[in-house]
This record gives sequence, C-alpha cells and structure tokens, in this order.
Amino acid sequence: MKTFKTGGIHPPEQKLTSGKTVEVMPHPQELAVPMSQHLGKPAKPVVKVGDEVKKGQLVGAADGFISANVHAPTSGKIKAVKQHPHPGGQYSMTVFITPDGKDEWLEGLNTPECDWKKLSKEEILKRITDAGVVGMGGAGFPSGVKLSPPRDKTIDTIILNGAECEPFLTADHRVMIEEPEAIVKGLEIITSLFQGQVSAYIGIESNKPDAAAALKKHADSKGIGIVVLETKYPQGAEKQLINAITGRTVNEGELPFDKGCLVHNIATAIAIYEAVCKNKPLIERVVTISGMEIHTAKNIRILVGTKFSEIAAFCGSMTEKTNQVITGGPMMGKAQFSLDVPVTKTTSGILFINNRGLEKSGEKTCIRCSRCISACPQNLQPWLLANTAQLRDFDTIELYGMANCTECGSCSYVCPSKRELVHWIKYAKTLASKRKQRQSA
Amino acid sequence: MYSESFIPAVASLGSLAFVLGIIILFVSKKFFVAEDPTVSMINALLPGVNCGACGYPSCSQFAEELVRTRNPSMTCPVGGGELAEKLGTALGITMAEPKPVTCVVLCQGHNGNARESAEYIGIRDCWAAAQAFAGTKQCRFACTGLGSCIAFCDFNAMRIENGLVVIDKELCTGCGACVPACPYGVLTMQEKKNERYLIACSSHDRGADTRKACDAGCTACQKCVRECPEQAIVIDNFLASIIQAKCTSCGKCLEVCPTKVNCILLERDMETVKSKKVP
Repeated sequence: MKTFKTGGIHPPEQKLTSGKTVEVMPHPQELAVPMSQHLGKPAKPVVKVGDEVKKGQLVGAADGFISANVHAPTSGKIKAVKQHPHPGGQYSMTVFITPDGKDEWLEGLNTPECDWKKLSKEEILKRITDAGVVGMGGAGFPSGVKLSPPRDKTIDTIILNGAECEPFLTADHRVMIEEPEAIVKGLEIITSLFQGQVSAYIGIESNKPDAAAALKKHADSKGIGIVVLETKYPQGAEKQLINAITGRTVNEGELPFDKGCLVHNIATAIAIYEAVCKNKPLIERVVTISGMEIHTAKNIRILVGTKFSEIAAFCGSMTEKTNQVITGGPMMGKAQFSLDVPVTKTTSGILFINNRGLEKSGEKTCIRCSRCISACPQNLQPWLLANTAQLRDFDTIELYGMANCTECGSCSYVCPSKRELVHWIKYAKTLASKRKQRQSA
Repeated sequence: MYSESFIPAVASLGSLAFVLGIIILFVSKKFFVAEDPTVSMINALLPGVNCGACGYPSCSQFAEELVRTRNPSMTCPVGGGELAEKLGTALGITMAEPKPVTCVVLCQGHNGNARESAEYIGIRDCWAAAQAFAGTKQCRFACTGLGSCIAFCDFNAMRIENGLVVIDKELCTGCGACVPACPYGVLTMQEKKNERYLIACSSHDRGADTRKACDAGCTACQKCVRECPEQAIVIDNFLASIIQAKCTSCGKCLEVCPTKVNCILLERDMETVKSKKVP
C-alpha cells in the first residue's frame, strides 16, 4: 500500500459518524457570514444594513487577486455589518443576515445542469472564481487562483484528496459515498483546464474501502486512478499526499506546481462541479459534528454562517463536561473561545470534547528521546525548533527549516513531556513575520 | 614517585605560559588602540543598562556618537535632566533636556472589571495567546495579563497584578522598550505630568460590545467631550482620548464619566520624578 516516506503517526481513528448519512440542517434564526473565509485578503462587504438579499447574491466582493467572493447563503434582510469572532482565531468583518424563510434563489443561479464540455476554459475559470470556490480542506486557498498556475509550470498530475486522515472527521468520507458522480465530474473539469497528458488520481486512506468502491464505479471508465493509501496521519497533507502517490518530494520553499502537481480537496471538486454546471455559488458544505460530549454525532449539510450554538442545539446539545470545542480535526483544529463563531467554507468538522486533566499537566523539559524527529513527516527536528523559539532566536530558527513545518501536530502528539512543540513553532512564525514587517517598514 | 610525575607537566605548561605571555605582551604594545578618554568618561556617567531608548544599541555606542558629533539634541531619556547637565559640563556644551516620559497602561481590564471568555491553556505568552483569539478576555483589545512585556523591562518596573500589567512609576525610566512587546498596543509612552487624566481603555468596539466585555471600558458616550472646557478630548473610532498638551487637569471629565468603573483614570507621577534614582 502506498504511503509517504518519512514520519507519521497513528492516532486512534474515532470515526464515530462514518456510517451516518448526511442530514440537512434546517435554516437557523440568524446567519453570520464572515468576509474572510479564505486565505488572502478579506472580501469587501457590498451590502448595507437593511438591504434585502436573495439566496446566492454577492454580499462580499473579492478584494485583490488572492481573495474570494462571499455570497448570501439564503434570502433575507441584512441585520448588521460588524466585527465578529471568526473560527480562525481572529475577529473578522461579518455580515449578519436574518433569513425570511422563503429561500429564494437569485435569478440565473442554481440552473439545471448544463454540459461543461461546451464551455471555454476562460468561462469555466470565471464561473469558479465568481462562485467564490476556495479549498475546503482547511486552508481555503481560492480555487480560481490555484487553477491558474504560472505559465512556465506544466501540470501533469491532478490529485483529489480524499485521505481525510484527521481523527473524528467523516465529512469527505460520506460525500465520497453519496456523491461520487459529482466528484468525478469536478475532477474532469479540473483536468480539462490543463493541456497535454494529465493523469488524475483520487487518494483515499485504507480505512474507507466503501468510499473507494463507490468512486471506482464512476472513475474507472474516465481513466481516473483510485489510489488506496495506508491509514497514517498526516496522509492528507498536501506534500505528503504528493509524495505518497507520485513519489515526488516537494522541498522547502517549493509549491506543488513546481513538481507538476495540483491537489484539491474532495469537497472542492463538488463545489467546482456545482459552480460550473449549475451556476451555484459556494454557500453550504458538509460538516462532521462529533466528539464524545455531543449528544448525537452527525454529518450535516449546513449553510455557511450558521453559529456553533445552533448546531449544538440541532445535535441534541453538548454535555456539561464539554470543556473544549474545536473546529477542524483534533490534530490541526483550533479551540474556540465562543459558541457565537459561525461555520465557514473551510470548517470540515466541529468537535465537542472533554480533555480535563490534560490541560493542567503543563510542559515538562525535553528528555531528548527523539520521538518528535521520528514522527515529523517533513524531516525536521521539532524539539530544536521549539527550543530556538523559546529563546526567541528568529534568525537561527529559519536555518533549522521553520518555514517547512506544516503544523500537522505529529510532534506534539508523540511528545512524552507534553511540550507544546507546534504552538512554539507557530509562535515563532508569527513573531518572525512581525519582525520582518517592522524591519521593512 | 608522585614528585617525578608532575615535574614534566609543570615544566611544560609553565614554559608554554611564559612564551604565550610574552606574545600577549608584545601584541598588546604593538597593536594598542588609544581610546578617547572623554568617551570612557561619558560612558561612566551613563546609566549603563543598554536599554536602547536613545536609539543606540548600547550606552557605550551612545557615548562614542555623542563625543564624535557633540550633538546637543542627543538625549538619554533614562538619565533625564540631571544627566543632561552632567554631560553638558563634561563636554562643554549645553545639552537639550529630555522631556521625562513614563509608561502608561491603556487598559483597566483586570479580573474584576473584564469578563473572561475562555480558559487559555497554551503557552504563557501574550503573542501565543493572540493567535488563539484575543487572549483570555472577552475584550479583544485588553491586556491578557500573561506578561510578555515584563521580560523587556530592564528596570523591573512592571508586574502582573490580578490579570493586568501594572507599572511602578518610581522605577519606570520611560525607555519605551516594552511598547513593541505588547501585541495589543495597550502600553504607550506619555510625558510625565503632575496630574494626568487618562482614558485608560483601548477598545475600538462599539459601546454596547465594550460594555458587555468590561466594566471599565470607554463606550464613546461623548459626555466628557461635551464637558471639557479646553476641547482636549477627541473620539476616534469609538474610543475617546485626551490630548495631553491641551489638558489642564480640571477633572471635569472624570465627574461626568458614566461608566460603572470610570474609564478615566487620574494618575500622579511628578513626585516620583524627584525621588527617581538612576540604577
């Protein structure tokens, strides 16, 4: 079975919801749609308080090249435009919409399926960009930008990422079983954008044989390879996935297209298919609601902008023992400080967990056991990076390859001294970039 | 038996030391660099804490630069007027007197006033906490109370009390090293005054949001702006601030401030100027 070369860990899978079909959550009382749901510059709000909007209407326009449009998830009235907590850890400009219950589409959107083969490349790219499609795996890189790499780079491999290596999460898994046709069509659209011989793969971890079988039915006739990968974290990290499937290594400072590869998430492929064939902007996604402290763990289809508190209520509320709510998976996700934060285009899961007892243990000193070095998929020495970060020596830490760290969390997971290795590296990244800004100013 | 074994060791090391000693002596005479005695004299007068407030990385570099340029506007904020006089007489010029400044905290969000949002369990550092929302308090402009600034203070003038940084006015020299250490910008340097009225709040949130998060937050209610006879208070982006140059310390703003815990603070730091000792 294929896998990436170095490092990796085996956390308990905890896929509580892998057998549960996707439910549709009823529309919430209020939607908080953040303007920053992607990497890059936040979108500019184009609506005022009191405006009536239709479903799919533009509420935030992309501001600059690396940015993405934001649309109204349902029809209703704009209640407010103000700063609001964002699940990414910052405050973001947010448009509040009170739904009117009619759920009316803006004219010209959500049209019957058209044949994408009749569309020109420019038209396809324009539809993807206009629909505000971003990478739905977590980072949220605008797809339109990703699909137009620099002219001098040739893309010969397109990979769809269905690894879903994070514990608990099953959103992509369910989508692969329930909508394999849309995924394959999305991948075909992506492949058609590149000239020459382009091979397409879908990488799936071995713990999802049903998803692989469902996709195989539709993919085999189209010449798309289904690659079953070893169940190992972080199999779904972009660089690791490329290494596992093609054997190529994306080195420090390089991007996947330097090695002729392009990686998209499963959910993104569906969003691209819907944007191109149905003129449907990205306004909803499938999210896994899981964790030991939620009454019923579920996979739900949810409007972007739904607040976590309403989701918890829909899933039968969380227990009193809950002391951490995490967006994304437990390895790379972010703990939230408020249940007012909304679901964004990049929220793949919401976990309600109880880790009491863990938080008080605190950091101990490094005992030089080198487990973090064996676990690191990027061939780094996490203990050394963390020690240098603690000394605030930001020149040396760059020599040790700080920029190459993907913050996957494998080192923190294996550390017997409970050191916050990834947090220290993130800390060094923030301060080093702040220092650079100050020096250039 | 032992006496035989240590004689060659003593002899060899002794002769080595002798030869090296002669080389050192020769080099020190041959390559002697004459240092300007004024520089070392000026250097001795300076506080010697290398805080960087003057803009130079160390006191000795400040001294070198001062002797070379004899620029009367070069000041050491830590030494203050007393030191400026001494430096002036030593160099035979009239030095500009630095305006004594002090560090002020534009936040009153200690644990009694500000409401906590969630328990923060990561690295005990303000910058690390800033990545996971605005620290531990509901107000995203508040002092987190984790004390990253303390490491930057060379004068032990800062401490954390009840979740808020407190400045010891006696020890603060106004060097300003702590200001860039704060991710939220609650620390600023202001000129020392006999009596200073200060809007001790940094929250640019709307009034209602500020009130929800903290008892001592400025809600930008405009009352103090209307009351001020000197028009010394301005409101910018939902936060009032007092223009210290216009303020006459009449105290009318404090009388009308409607917040439960006044967001306007009265600070006195002039008595401490006299008793201030340069370490």
